[in-house]
Amino acid sequence: MLQKFLHQRFFVVLILLFLMLIFFGITQEQFFTPANLSVILTSSSILWVTAMGLTFVMLAGGFDLSVGSMMALSGIACGWFFNHLHVNIFIAIIMTILFGLIVGGLINGIAIGRFGLSFLVITLGSSTLFTGATQWWSGTKTTLVSAPWLQTLAYGKVWIVPNQVIVMVLVFAILLYVQNYTLFGRDIYAIGGNVEAAKLSGIKTSRVLITVYALAGAFAALAGVLQVSRIAAASPQVGANLIFIATAAVLLGGTSFSGGVGGVFGTVVGTLFLGVLQNGLQVAGVADYWQQIITGAILIGAIALDLIQRKSTNKKGPVTLKIAK
Amino acid sequence: MSFDAAQGSTLHGENSKGTILFDGRGIKKAYDGVQALKGLDFTLRAGEVHGLCGENGSGKSTLLKIISAQILPDEGTLSVGGDIVHMRTPNDSLAVGIGTVTQERTLVPDLTVAENIYLSHRKSRKWWGIDWKQTQSAAQDILNKIGCDVDINAKVADIAPGDAQMVEIARALIGDIRILILDEPTSSLTSHEVTALFVALRNLTAHGVSVVFISHRMEEIFDICDYITVIRDGELISDGRISEYDRHRLVFEMIGRESSEIGLQSDHVQNLDVVLELNELTVANKFSNVSLKLGQGEILGLIGLVGAGHSELLSTLFGSFKESSGDISVHGKNVKIRTPTDAMGHGIAFVPADRKRQGLVLGMTVLENAIMASTSQLSRFTPPSSGNSKAFTEKSMIDFDISAPSLSAPISSLSGGNQQKVLLTKWLGTQPKILLLDEPTRGVDVGAKSEIYKILLEQREKGLSILVSSSEVPELLTLCDRILVMHRGSIVANLPRESADESKILQYAMGEG
Repeated sequence: MLQKFLHQRFFVVLILLFLMLIFFGITQEQFFTPANLSVILTSSSILWVTAMGLTFVMLAGGFDLSVGSMMALSGIACGWFFNHLHVNIFIAIIMTILFGLIVGGLINGIAIGRFGLSFLVITLGSSTLFTGATQWWSGTKTTLVSAPWLQTLAYGKVWIVPNQVIVMVLVFAILLYVQNYTLFGRDIYAIGGNVEAAKLSGIKTSRVLITVYALAGAFAALAGVLQVSRIAAASPQVGANLIFIATAAVLLGGTSFSGGVGGVFGTVVGTLFLGVLQNGLQVAGVADYWQQIITGAILIGAIALDLIQRKSTNKKGPVTLKIAK
Repeated sequence: MSFDAAQGSTLHGENSKGTILFDGRGIKKAYDGVQALKGLDFTLRAGEVHGLCGENGSGKSTLLKIISAQILPDEGTLSVGGDIVHMRTPNDSLAVGIGTVTQERTLVPDLTVAENIYLSHRKSRKWWGIDWKQTQSAAQDILNKIGCDVDINAKVADIAPGDAQMVEIARALIGDIRILILDEPTSSLTSHEVTALFVALRNLTAHGVSVVFISHRMEEIFDICDYITVIRDGELISDGRISEYDRHRLVFEMIGRESSEIGLQSDHVQNLDVVLELNELTVANKFSNVSLKLGQGEILGLIGLVGAGHSELLSTLFGSFKESSGDISVHGKNVKIRTPTDAMGHGIAFVPADRKRQGLVLGMTVLENAIMASTSQLSRFTPPSSGNSKAFTEKSMIDFDISAPSLSAPISSLSGGNQQKVLLTKWLGTQPKILLLDEPTRGVDVGAKSEIYKILLEQREKGLSILVSSSEVPELLTLCDRILVMHRGSIVANLPRESADESKILQYAMGEG
């Protein structure tokens, strides 16, 4: 079990995460306060749910550049459903998530999964499209969404656990289950590992891919809802950097660009790593641009380290098992 | 394919008195505590073709990697031309005159033949320019040396697989190469191309080059090799002139036991229910007007040269080409097969030729690979490995004698033969009525080969209908009730087993029937 854990691709990042926690804990008094710890978690919630959806896409060997702009668009959608259709906020939230699911599935999913078009080209296109749609739909204005329950979602607590953290844990638990304990989850690995073999095994690869992009859209939409709940308003000016940070979280978590390797547990590690780093630097009063420089450097470093690790294990020679007759 | 390569192999024994060119003594190598080589001796003389024989996992590839310095031995001495050498990297082995052609294709498809040959030793001029003239003339010289007449300005993507193999060899011969290592050079070649390759090898040995040759095809070993070394479990079993061996001795020494005589008994009832019938099936540019009938419990063989359409015929039956015309009927019912799911719905299973690219997901476990097909029609919210498929896999592990550390071991840790048996398990688990097999024993060692034959013949007894395409004539002669020969997209002969033999099949396949 421990052996298995040591071989996880995110292991180095996990060690770095612990070292960082120790470092910030020693150097800053306020770091290990319950208040600060819940700030770390809640401020990562948007990144967390977006990266979860993106993990499935990358596991299947694809990529979705449009999750950031989908997050912004969904926020606007949520505000519009609430303010213009005058529906209950719960209904608005469910509609928003369905909106992300359907738009992601119809545009990205169908084009990539059904027609086999390049995911980079398609999601680059849809990303631009969603950004434009966000500006048009919002009239480039931020509108208030004054639903008290939204405030509860963003700032309420159950005992000492913030509601946002409950959402995060639920999302993670569901996806971890789907990933490891359903055929759909294993399909994703099979497609990312060898799409040809998956197809020839009778797996309906286009259906799985459409679902994966639809889910990425749905989780980006959930992130949009969280965004709205935090500022009590639907703003078109959000999510510009989200795709880069989410990609960083997934990659740090050991899911590879080539697909078939990694998983949502790693993404949690990657997300927490980025969250702690950002928070620690903020608490220490380091300027914003330095946070970006450090995050970028660590991402490059972690990927290089991973490559070196894999090379050195390969050098030992192929694993030839001596099989007893 | 023995008979037509025979002309190229009249030199048996004449060069084998050469001086010792390479000598390895007491070579030991362990991987993670498993001893792959247990103090092996290996001697190579000048100007000989030396066959290295052993099952997968015998230590053959480890030895090759040590000779070409891709890995270092734990113990033992290597000497080349009488001098002890300490090779640490593949470049060191090149420097002492050892060239290697691995099983992997390393050519760049969009570059020309000449450029590919000199890719690692570019002829340059001032300012990093490429000296095209010198590149071309030098490439031409090497190709002449091995007697290959491929156009040096053709793109590699446009040349035949046999020529590509020659280009690989030409590339390995750059510099002062005295020893050429060929790891399964014939696995993707037609018999024509194998003949040409063997002529090329004879040209090389006449120049004093020694060749280390590996092949899973027994006939080729006897056709081309002067000397052979048999290894098993990392130990030297025997070595000697090829004339000291016969097929039986060689197989016995390789697998360490008698290979049971298997093959069809011809008393099988021939009056069979038709399970699959094709009528004038056509896919543009692949094959045309193919009609055939496959009976219940029949094994029907398909053979042809590369591009004859037999492989494409199988994939069409599994839904790879949507634009087909003509009729397919299963159990007398006309069906349309447009996707693998359609095919599986009609009880068809398909084990493709390229195990790594089309068959397995190498990053997943044995169990996950084994149940992939039988669970692919279930609801996606089902937990994997539920139901009967796991039990079936466990049973098959025993029935088919699959050696794997556990069901949750990665499939990539299994040998080729065991991987192939897992693929068979995967498809037999779907309880098919019709099994399509493309090259069922490619890259599989002799022992596993006969076990796979045994599995297939047992399934036939149980009433499974099998359509098998293979480029190995002996394989089809072992397995099939009938053999269909294809040439340029059409079936040109339908031979019952009793009246089929290698030369007849090949004549038809080459369009001379």
